[in-house]
Parts: sequence; C-alpha cells; structure tokens
Amino acid sequence: MKSSTVDVLIVGAGPAGLAAAIELKRAGVKNVRIVEREKTAGGVPRHSFHPGYGLRDLKRFLSGPKYSRYYVNKALKNGVQISTSTTATDWIDPNTLTLTCPTGIEQVRASVILLATGARERGRAARAVAGKRPSGIYTTGSLQQATYLEDLYIGKTAVIVGTEHVSLSAVLTLKHAGVKTVAMICEKSKHQTVFGAPTIMKLLYRFKLHLATKIVEIQGDQRVTGVKVSRAGKEWVIAVDTIVFTGDWIPDHELARRGGIAIDRKYKSPITNGDSQIPNRSIYTIGNLNLPIKGADRCAVEARKIASKIAKQIHKGSILS
Amino acid sequence: MSNQEFDLAIIGAGVVGTAIAREFAKSDLKIALIDEKADVGEGTSKANTAILHTGFDMTPGSLESKLVSQGYELLKTYAQEVGIAVEKLGALLVAWSQEEVENLPKLKAKAIANGYTQCELITKEGLYELEPNLGQGALAALTVPGEWIIDPWSPIIAFATQAKLAGVQVLLNTKVLKLSYDVDGFKLQSNNGQITTRNLINAAGLYSDEIDGELGFNDFKVTPRRGELIVFDKLARGLINHVILPVPSSMGKGVLVAPTVFGNIMLGPTAENLEDKTATGSTEAGIQGLLQKGARIAPSLLDEEITAIYAGLRAATEHSDFQIKLHSLGGKQNYLTVGGIRSTGLTASMAIAIYVKELLIKAGVEIRDSKELPKIVMNNLGEASLRSYQDVEQIKLKPLHGEIICHCERTTTQEVLDALASPLPPTTIANLGRRTRAGLGRCQGFYCHHELRKLLERS
Ligand SMILES: Cc1cc2nc3c(=O)[nH]c(=O)nc-3n(C[C@H](O)[C@H](O)[C@H](O)COP(=O)(O)OP(=O)(O)OC[C@H]3O[C@@H](n4cnc5c(N)ncnc54)[C@H](O)[C@@H]3O)c2cc1C
Ligand SMILES: Cc1cc2nc3c(=O)[nH]c(=O)nc-3n(C[C@H](O)[C@H](O)[C@H](O)COP(=O)(O)OP(=O)(O)OC[C@H]3O[C@@H](n4cnc5c(N)ncnc54)[C@H](O)[C@@H]3O)c2cc1C
Repeated sequence: MKSSTVDVLIVGAGPAGLAAAIELKRAGVKNVRIVEREKTAGGVPRHSFHPGYGLRDLKRFLSGPKYSRYYVNKALKNGVQISTSTTATDWIDPNTLTLTCPTGIEQVRASVILLATGARERGRAARAVAGKRPSGIYTTGSLQQATYLEDLYIGKTAVIVGTEHVSLSAVLTLKHAGVKTVAMICEKSKHQTVFGAPTIMKLLYRFKLHLATKIVEIQGDQRVTGVKVSRAGKEWVIAVDTIVFTGDWIPDHELARRGGIAIDRKYKSPITNGDSQIPNRSIYTIGNLNLPIKGADRCAVEARKIASKIAKQIHKGSILS
Repeated sequence: MSNQEFDLAIIGAGVVGTAIAREFAKSDLKIALIDEKADVGEGTSKANTAILHTGFDMTPGSLESKLVSQGYELLKTYAQEVGIAVEKLGALLVAWSQEEVENLPKLKAKAIANGYTQCELITKEGLYELEPNLGQGALAALTVPGEWIIDPWSPIIAFATQAKLAGVQVLLNTKVLKLSYDVDGFKLQSNNGQITTRNLINAAGLYSDEIDGELGFNDFKVTPRRGELIVFDKLARGLINHVILPVPSSMGKGVLVAPTVFGNIMLGPTAENLEDKTATGSTEAGIQGLLQKGARIAPSLLDEEITAIYAGLRAATEHSDFQIKLHSLGGKQNYLTVGGIRSTGLTASMAIAIYVKELLIKAGVEIRDSKELPKIVMNNLGEASLRSYQDVEQIKLKPLHGEIICHCERTTTQEVLDALASPLPPTTIANLGRRTRAGLGRCQGFYCHHELRKLLERS
C-alpha cells in the first residue's frame, strides 16, 4: 500500500477546506494536501447556480460555480495539492487516514488534519415522513445536482418543505428545471429565512405559503402523486409530482465519528475546544461540519482564521509530526 | 410477446418463486417465471427483517417448522457459496415482564420440540453484559445463537440469475390477468399476450388466493398484515450486538431490533391486519409506535439518524401454517399453490422449492435433473466482507473499483457498472440500490442521486 506524509491534510475541498489550504500555504506551510471525494473540487457551491456567494469573504456577489472556481484556482496557484475522486475512508491513528481513489489505496500521515466534510440536508426518511416511496423526492442538494450538473428530468409541479434560505434556492432551481412550485410548507409558525423573502418569492413565483403545516404522508406508487398535509387538525392533499425537502441540516460527521470523536447531541457536530480543535488531538474541524448552517462566505472566513492559528503553531514548533 | 408455450410457468418472482424457478432450472423443462413488476423481488420479498431463522419458535410438527429449519441450512450454505452476505450474530429473546420471564422456559422447550437445542436461559446480568446499551427494565433472556442475519435481496437476484442463465424465461412487466385450463394445460392471459403451460405454480404472494380463485379454489384468503420498519444509520451499528427479540405473541414475532449485514440497525416490524393489498406505505402511527418501542429497547438508538422507513405486507391467511397444495384438476396438467408464506419465506425459500418439486414428481410430472446450474458470484455487500472500495487487487485490475460513487454506502462506480451489465440489470434507482447499496445511505441521494440516475438512464 502506498503511504505518504504531509504537513497538513484537509478532508473536503469545499469553501472551508479550500480557504484554509490557501491560508496555510500563504503562511508558509510546506505540504498542504486536500482530498476531495467528488470528481471536481469546490464543494456545494459547484452546483448552486444562483448568485449568493462571496459577500463576506470576497466582497463580491458570485454564483456558486464561479465562487468555487475562484477558490480552486487560487488554491492551485498557491501550491495546494488537490486530489479529487479521493475519499478519506478511515483512520489508522489520529494522525493517519486511509484514502481510496482510482489509482489505489493510500495511507497519509499528517502533522495536522483538518476535517472540512460539510453538511447535508435531512431527507425524507431522516425526518420520519410517512407514506409510500415513489420517485420524485429530492433535497435541494440533489435537486440542484440533477438540474444543473446532469440536466435530468425533474417533474411538473412541486411542494417545497421548509422555509430556510436554501428553500428559496430550491424555488429558483425548480423554475430553472421547468417545474412549478405549488406550495411551500413549514412546520414552524414563522418562516426561517430573511424578513419578507418568502412573501416576495411567493408573489413572484405564485405559490402558496403554508406555515404551521406538517407533511403527514407521501402518496404515489411509482411517482409522487401528492402530499397529505395538516394544519391545526385539518388535513388536505396537495397534488404534485415532486417534493423537495430543504434545510434541516446535519453535519457530515461520519469520518469524525469513525475516528472516535465525540459528537454534540443537539447539533451533531464534533465537540471541539474554542479553537475548533478536537481536545488532545491535532485534528481541527472547519466549515459546516461545525454547527450548520452558515453561508459559504462565513465558512471561508472562519476557516482562514483557524488556518492562520495552525500555521503559527506549526512555525513555533508546537505541533510536531 | 405473442403466444408462448411452456412445460412449467411460475406466477410470482418473489423469493419463493425465484427459488422454485432455480430449482426446476436443473431439469430440461421449458420454464417461464412471470411477474407483473419490473424487477424480481418487488413484492413482499423486498421488505423484511432479513433474519435467517432457525425455526426455534415455529409450531412443532408444522410444515413451516420443517421447511424453515431445512431452508435455514440450505440458504446459509448457498449464501456462503455464491458470496451473499450473512453474519452469525445470534439472537437474544428478552423478557421485560415477570410473565415473559415465565414464558422463557416454555420457549426453550418449544425450540427443542422444533429440533433446535442451542437455546440457553441467561440472567439479567448476563444479558446486560452482552448488550450494555439495552434499555433499563429487561429481566432475563433466552439465547438463540443460531439466528443469523442475511442480505435479503441478493438471494432473489441470485436465484433468478441462475435460473435465467440455465434457460428459464424471466418475463417481467407481465401481469397475469385471466386464467383458464383444460385437460392439457393452462392459458394465462397477460398484458403481454398469452402464455400456455402444461404445469402451473402459483407463487403470487399476496395475490395467491386470487389466482386460486380464478381456477375455482378457495382454500384460504390472504389478509395483508402490514409490517413497518425503521432503518437507522450505520453509525448506530455498534450499539447492538445481537438480534434483540421480544417474547412472541399471537400477532407474530413482535418488534425486534436487529443489526443488518450492511451495518445498519433495524427496528420493527409492526403487525397490523389490513384489507388493501397495496397499502405498502408507512404511517405516522406506525412510525411513532416503533420509535416508542425502540426508546425502551435501546434508548441511544433514537439519537441516530434514520436512513429508511418502509413497510412490507405479510401474506397472512386464516391458517397458521404454509398453504402449499397440489390441486387435482383431472387431466395431464398440474396446478400447485404456494400460499401463506407469511413471516419466514426468505429462510424457507430453498426448502419450499425442493418440497414443491417433490410434490410434482409424486404427481407424475417427469422431472429429471439434467443440468448443472451455471456458477455465479454475487457482489458481497456485507460490511463484514472486503468491499470493492477496500480491495487493492480489484482496484488494480479496474480503477473504477477505487471510485466511490455513493459515499454513504461506499458503492463504487465499478459495482454500479457491473450491476447494469448483469443478466438481470436494474431499471430503477431503488432496484439498483438492492443490487449495490447505492443510494440507500444516510444522505438519501443528496450527494449521489444525480450520478446514479445518469448512469442508469444512459445505460
Ligand atoms: C442548495 C444550497 C444552496 C446554498 N446557497 C448558498 C448561498 O447562496 N450563499 C452561501 O453563502 N451559502 C449557500 N449555501 C451554503 C454553502 O454552500 C455552504 O455553507 C458551504 O458549501 C459549506 O462549505 P464547507 O466547505 O463546509 O462544505 P461543503 O461545501 O459541503 O464541502 C465539503 C466537501 O467535503 C467533501 N467530503 C466529505 N467527506 C469527505 C471524505 N470522507 N473524503 C473526501 N472528501 C469528503 C465533500 O465531497 C464536499 O465537497 C447553500 C447550500 C446549499 C446546499
Ligand atoms: C415485515 C416483514 C418481515 C419479515 N421478516 C422476515 C425474516 O426476517 N426472515 C424471513 O425468512 N422472512 C421474513 N418475512 C417473510 C418473507 O419476506 C416472505 O415470506 C416472503 O418474502 C414471501 O415471498 P413470496 O415470494 O411468497 O411473495 P412476494 O415477494 O410477494 O412475491 C409474489 C410476487 O408475485 C407477483 N404477482 C402477484 N400477482 C401477480 C400476477 N397476477 N401476475 C404476475 N405477477 C404477480 C408479485 O408482483 C410479487 O413479486 C418478513 C415479511 C415481512 C412483511
């Protein structure tokens, strides 16, 4: 089995991992390697085609793909080694990870490991929604990738479950895919995004907003035919062929947990000290793996700060391999 | 398809129908295996708790008891031969009340009457030592070391693949609509034209009574008994080491907590008699009820993410035993019903197939085993075996074994391509998942759904 050593190994080439890598190189750390399990680096913004990225970190307002290309190019220019199609699968010890990629299996030992594995939206089962299991059920993430990356058929009419920021991007993505949003529903009695946004969207895209409304059952054998919802004891069916579950984030903590790292019961993110460090280990967590969800810009800004501290410690010699 | 003639037609490609097709494929009969669905195993067989039962709790002397204990040995051996994931976990039948404690010795005696002698009574202390994450309040347990867990889908694919390679015509998307017979055989009208056959086996699961009815038999009525199940994420696997069984009641085996060979934990099933044979949806009440039971059995389980919720319908009848019957129609034709295969059909499948063959031989059908079945190797999807993405040698041969496409289940692109190129290729994301695990994990498609659809739709 191949094995190698680096100064810092970063798992995940999303905004957080890339921003941290750039900062580490800038601060003079020699060997910085990012492993990314997808074929392309960039993380979630790769498939978020709406503008909305870069405000806090780049002082610009970019589309997701432009934003992620910016970070990937900058990382490469700064000498960061990015290995795509490469998954960190498990730990050998707290400083060594096993990787799988098409050229084989590799063990990488690092003085510092940064986990930047991101977060995902909870899907239908994770929310314990009852009913049948037809096709036509998405999360915003899967919807965006099917629409923008592969141009696959989505459907005709949709219900969006959730009213977070990301729910608004689901409306835009559905529009792009030629799907009409019929309704947006949310269990809470107040929506969860920017003041006024759902109202504007609702008027612009002509859908109904149902607050304090719960999804009770998914209907349809092959394909979704409708969702049964309930509000204040009243039940009705919204006939649609597509359902998008949005928001309700959970950190992608699998690798962390496989390494025996303790997880916060409420937020499901790894438990760290004030500096995002796993107690007594040279492992750090950055980006949406910590307490989702933040915008990509905040993830990048925070990651940069943490990286800068790590670089100082490496230079001081207080972190040794 | 216009008119096709066969020596034997089997209606239903569930675990039972496919096992029968495989068994008869050794002969030189011309055979059709018919199912209305787009894939094998799309009925009750796709939704069960995946336990290889010893049969310790069957009714002694019943046909089910006999076929479950035979089938247990047969399937265990077969699975290991062709590379289907099985794990010898053992079960703990846990008593939570004094009454249940008193029942344990009776269950042990019943096990012995069923020919299973390995059960031991253990104390509360012994139990918590084996299962430290078990909820409070358990009083004692009976061990059933022989209860194994198995990949429930691969046997169906394996049976059907071997049958197909040996010449059986697998007619999917073919719904039998009408049946008639004369002294020479049967005419089946389907949405795909007419099928004529000399001998007919009804392995139609929930619809076996209706097929019987078409031919004038009313030996039993199928009442679908829904079982809802919750599957927890792989990160939960360390919580439980055995299959945790409750003390059974008249409604069945009760709610269990069981690890799966894929590394998940399963909670269920419920048991609810229904009228509607298509009611395979889960319900709010069912899910909440299971979560409450789960909170008692293993409280920390509820902190874990749910990766799937589904429901299966057991083909329960008014009889407690299997309903396997050879009917006399007074001609050269033979008709055999395999009904009421309610809660143990996965385990019993291979023994049912042999039993059915013997019945037909007794009835005078000339069946000679003239062929060796073609050897097959299944993709072992169990966590206990070396998966494609971990296999240095495989990656060297085919680099796409090193490209993980479903990150949660760690399915590789090569595994998906192999499934798509197999004799019974998947046609939907769901049945691709049953062959490769792809898309069945915690992200429920957040990361890989589009990639899988692309491969599937462009294949
Ligand atoms: C639909 C949607 C719309 C959004 N819209 C906006 C917006 O308009 N503006 C905004 O600021 N933010 C937006 N966000 C949020 C933003 O995308 C996230 O905050 C940001 O991507 C988080 O960055 P990250 O680096 O922490 O994680 P991610 O971007 O999720 O990147 C994590 C990376 O780690 C990789 N990875 C995980 N595990 C492994 C492993 N074991 N081995 C190798 N690689 C691994 C993943 O493949 C992934 O590429 C949106 C999010 C979504 C889902
Ligand atoms: C919740 C639950 C848990 C279980 N747990 C276990 C367990 O742990 N271990 C175990 O051994 N067993 C278990 N079982 C039992 C096992 O799953 C069943 O006994 C078995 O799947 C029955 O298989 P089958 O082939 O008879 O039926 P099915 O799988 O239902 O097959 C019948 C097939 O016939 C087809 N069909 C019907 N009518 C027609 C028609 N007119 N034309 C064409 N095709 C038709 C259907 O499409 C279907 O595919 C469980 C069952 C349930 C529901």
